[in-house]
Amino acid sequence: MKIVGVCACTVGIAHTYIAQEKLEKAAKNAGCEAKFETQGSIGKENALTAEEIDAADIVILAIDIKIADTERFKGKKTIQVSTDVAIKSPNKLIEKAIQVVEAAK
Amino acid sequence: MEKLKSLNLKSHLLTAISYMLPIVCGGGFLVAIGMALGGTNMYADGLVQGQFTFWDALATMGGAALGLLPLIIAVGIAFSIAGKPGIAPGFVVGLSAISISAGFIGGILGGYIAGYLALLIINKLKLPAWAKGLMPTVIVPLISSFIAGLVMIYVFGVPIAAFTNWLTDVLLGLGTSSKLLLGLVIGSLCIVDFGGPINKTVYAFTLTLLASGIREPVTALQLVNTATPIGFGLAYFIAKVMRKNIYEREQVENLKSAVPMGVLNIVEGVIPIVMSDLVRALIASAVGGACGGAVTMILGADSTVPFGGFLMLPTMTRPWTGLLAIIVNVLVTGCLYAVIAKNKDINVAIDEAEEEEPEIEDIQIF
Repeated sequence: MKIVGVCACTVGIAHTYIAQEKLEKAAKNAGCEAKFETQGSIGKENALTAEEIDAADIVILAIDIKIADTERFKGKKTIQVSTDVAIKSPNKLIEKAIQVVEAAK
Repeated sequence: MEKLKSLNLKSHLLTAISYMLPIVCGGGFLVAIGMALGGTNMYADGLVQGQFTFWDALATMGGAALGLLPLIIAVGIAFSIAGKPGIAPGFVVGLSAISISAGFIGGILGGYIAGYLALLIINKLKLPAWAKGLMPTVIVPLISSFIAGLVMIYVFGVPIAAFTNWLTDVLLGLGTSSKLLLGLVIGSLCIVDFGGPINKTVYAFTLTLLASGIREPVTALQLVNTATPIGFGLAYFIAKVMRKNIYEREQVENLKSAVPMGVLNIVEGVIPIVMSDLVRALIASAVGGACGGAVTMILGADSTVPFGGFLMLPTMTRPWTGLLAIIVNVLVTGCLYAVIAKNKDINVAIDEAEEEEPEIEDIQIF
């Protein structure tokens, strides 16, 4: 299964990147291919390409604020949580994402 | 209540704060450097060719930026709500809030009004095809700015200005014991959820005060955020002396980055450490924070910049006051945590399975 997502927190220097790391690790443990873009105070890093978004089964947004370029995910199955949830329960969140994808099949 | 939640009011405020912080930091440091080297903020009178020094210029640049905080928060909120069409009414309402002295609170409220108005007009106003082009050029910017600005000036401006003045007067007139209490409350609340919603609420409150020229509360909050990770670092050494092992190997690694992050005002690095022994770590942080906050308030540590950790110290009237607050906070948190923390086996791997079940309502699926 392929997952893409965006992480963004208020200050944009810490939670954003912790969430990214936790989610990538959790996805790897669950055997998923995952890439998370960060929109910190420095701007976009690890940016998602149109092909990657296209190929993804689900989008996970771990965001506390309004993010840039949400149109990219239009029509995709999307899960949105706060960065707190992603940091505290990354594995459960990925599990949930897998369930959502399975249910949609 | 459900409906209120779906509006997502908090996330709009947080978005605006995230736009505002770099401006506050940039402007704040400019003012601090300029003033420290003898400059004056001449923004109100304007810079006259040939009659200002380099340091005046710095202080004025920074002062101009800081004076626009109500505008920035209003634009940020309106943009977060309505996107691009929110910017114009956000600007007008923010400037209206400044001119009627409704300040930061006025800016926040105005931002919401402007954003939802713009959104309402876009979604509800149906026009014939020939008039579609007028929507973005005339109708949305004009009507939303007109109504939002008038509401700010004639309805909310005066009571908010009165409230802000009242609050400012009360806080300026606080006696030592009340300052102590305020410091205790801010210091403990701002750390109790490590950057979560309580912290952000307290932060918004202290930023409001900063915009009215009261700098101690936000200083207290940021010094506590600075000191807490260092306190957890200190706890490691104190516990060693007590022949106790309070961290696992992975946490010791975490600390190596969490402490330097703390020095620069980023508290979040300690989250993985705190999570493993939540209640005790929270007690140590909150008690230490309360002490640090109280010291800040009583001594009157007053940073012009509401972010930056140790970099805030040179911007204070008396830098030693801030340093003392940090030291007290670090010592209290460190000693307390070393004493109350559980004795752990350093080689235990963190149990990944032990995760909180996320609340269903915290997850939105589209």
